[in-house]
Amino acid sequence: MLKLAWRNLIHERTRLIISVGGVALAVLLIVVMNGIFAGGEKQATTYIKNQPAPLWVMQAGVENIHMASSILPADAVERVRSVPGVETAVGILYTGGGVEVGDTLVPSYLFGVDPDASFGGPWSLTKGTAAPAANEIVVDQAFAQRYRLALGDTVSVMGHDLVIAGLSKGTFGIAVNLTFVNKEALAQTLGVPSQSASYILVKPVSGTNLQNLADELRTALPQANVMTQTDFIASERDLIRQTGVDVIRAMSTVAYVIGLLVIGLTIYTATLERSREYGVLKAIGAKNPQLVRVVFTQAFAAAGLGYLLGVGLAYGTSVVVSRLFPDILILINPPQLLREVPALAFITALAALLPVGRVARLDPLVAFRA
Amino acid sequence: MNTPYILEMRQVSKTYGSGHTAVKAVDGVDLLIKPEEIVLVMGPSGSGKTTLLSMAGLLLRPTEGKIWLNGQETTPLTERQLPALRLRSVGFVFQAYNLLGALTARENVGLVMHMAGRNGRSARTRAAELLTMLGLEHRLNHLPADLSGGEKQRVALARALANDPPLILADEPTGNLDSKIGREVMELLCCGLGRDQGRAIVIVTHDHRLRDIADRVLWLEDGRLSDDHRGNLESMASHQIGETTR
Ligand SMILES: Nc1ncnc2c1ncn2[C@@H]1O[C@H](COP(=O)(O)OP(=O)(O)OP(=O)(O)O)[C@@H](O)[C@H]1O
Ligand SMILES: [Mg+2]
Repeated sequence: MLKLAWRNLIHERTRLIISVGGVALAVLLIVVMNGIFAGGEKQATTYIKNQPAPLWVMQAGVENIHMASSILPADAVERVRSVPGVETAVGILYTGGGVEVGDTLVPSYLFGVDPDASFGGPWSLTKGTAAPAANEIVVDQAFAQRYRLALGDTVSVMGHDLVIAGLSKGTFGIAVNLTFVNKEALAQTLGVPSQSASYILVKPVSGTNLQNLADELRTALPQANVMTQTDFIASERDLIRQTGVDVIRAMSTVAYVIGLLVIGLTIYTATLERSREYGVLKAIGAKNPQLVRVVFTQAFAAAGLGYLLGVGLAYGTSVVVSRLFPDILILINPPQLLREVPALAFITALAALLPVGRVARLDPLVAFRA
Repeated sequence: MNTPYILEMRQVSKTYGSGHTAVKAVDGVDLLIKPEEIVLVMGPSGSGKTTLLSMAGLLLRPTEGKIWLNGQETTPLTERQLPALRLRSVGFVFQAYNLLGALTARENVGLVMHMAGRNGRSARTRAAELLTMLGLEHRLNHLPADLSGGEKQRVALARALANDPPLILADEPTGNLDSKIGREVMELLCCGLGRDQGRAIVIVTHDHRLRDIADRVLWLEDGRLSDDHRGNLESMASHQIGETTR
């Protein structure tokens, strides 16, 4: 009987291609959408992740970098440094803004970094310096490539012309373009004291208990928010995810409805076309559950093939896209692929219900009609 | 089980619809079929032949009367029990062949054995044997679309015989075939393979030339069954000739 299901399925090539292709496109859409957002999440948290700072201090009420504005009192860095257990405390300035390349304004994260600090700036360089002087800027190499910029070229940030002094790596994506400028220069532009910091990156003396140190920092700076690196990353990821969730949900719903209609229609027409044969099988002695199984098998086989094809296409797409658009990162993770399986199975069962009902109600006497 | 009949229909009637629109398609029929018998049921169009055959094949419940198959009374059986009984006890041959279009000749025959619980390999072997005996050894892996009408009906014969049923029911089996091919197919059924192990065969047909194959010829008219009255058949034959020469 399973053979019959399979043969019925492949006997009609065009219909098979339509149903498998329809499911594949739906799966492709869902997986790629999820992948883009997963990639965005990864890109958005990359700065926090790549700093050797297990504790982060920021303005009270602030829990993110993206879409946030944080400024700490001018003496905050000194106060953090004086807390026992702190080995290094680096203050950085941050503001969302843009880098002007000719007439184009590229939305960017601007990090004001202290050239003498041991971290806080770009963590991976391909060329030049990681420590920009007052009239300098470090941009991502992929960004430079995209806008045909090289070391020594000039871009403009908030009305100031800056010379590209370094090219960093892993700091450019659709969600983020990280650039690094001189902290004092940025402070001047923003009109804040030069010792001010938006975030303080804290590296404890080795062996220090993180939670205890965090508590002591909270006591020392009652007006500030202290977070562990892990919590800070999670909080940043959640923010991106929240903005993405509705989009993903809407797209997934649309994709699954398309899949439902495609499987439903193709299996239904296939069943209608073969309804005489199913009637004949009943006359000969097939039981209803056997025929129902044939129809379900066809639906699930089509959906399964569509799923595999869709996943394959999604991986292919992620490779091609990463070649063509280095800023778009499509992250496909297997657990997410598996999470789509129950939804697809549900849709498939739903789509098969109508044809199954037809088959179950078929009158075997059709066999006698000439 | 100690009955001499393979099929026993007693006072069987079938009325379609109710009230003003009621049609009594079969009216108080007694039909007794013994092993090895070949019985032809003839009659004009609309006389109830297909209805009678459907009831004999347990596809349609009679409005009145009782039916025994192989000595088993079938009236008390539930809808769930009937398919299994049909599968093993009745082989159907239809006018329209009714092969499954996506399966090869061999798979069409093998499928019904598979449905009856035979394993794939032995079903395949037996299907090939049957088809070979019916002269289709070169057509085992052909799809129905690539077979002639006579070949398709022979595949259908093999399918009807596949589970070795004690009873074959055929409704106008030669209806779509020219008379020579039709005759060949009927001879295969009635003189060859079909005769194994006391199998009985009931054939509904308009084709009076099949008369000499049968042990008995019955006449159905207005739902009532009678023995072969030569007059009926003769008049039907002349009617048909008259129609074709007109
Ligand atoms: N499902 C049905 N509902 C109502 N009436 C029916 C139904 N099936 C058959 N009939 C009627 O019952 C009568 C007998 O029909 P049946 O098909 O058994 O005749 P038949 O002898 O097989 O005819 P033919 O030689 O044309 O195949 C006819 O009058 C037909 O119109
Ligand atoms: Mg008929």
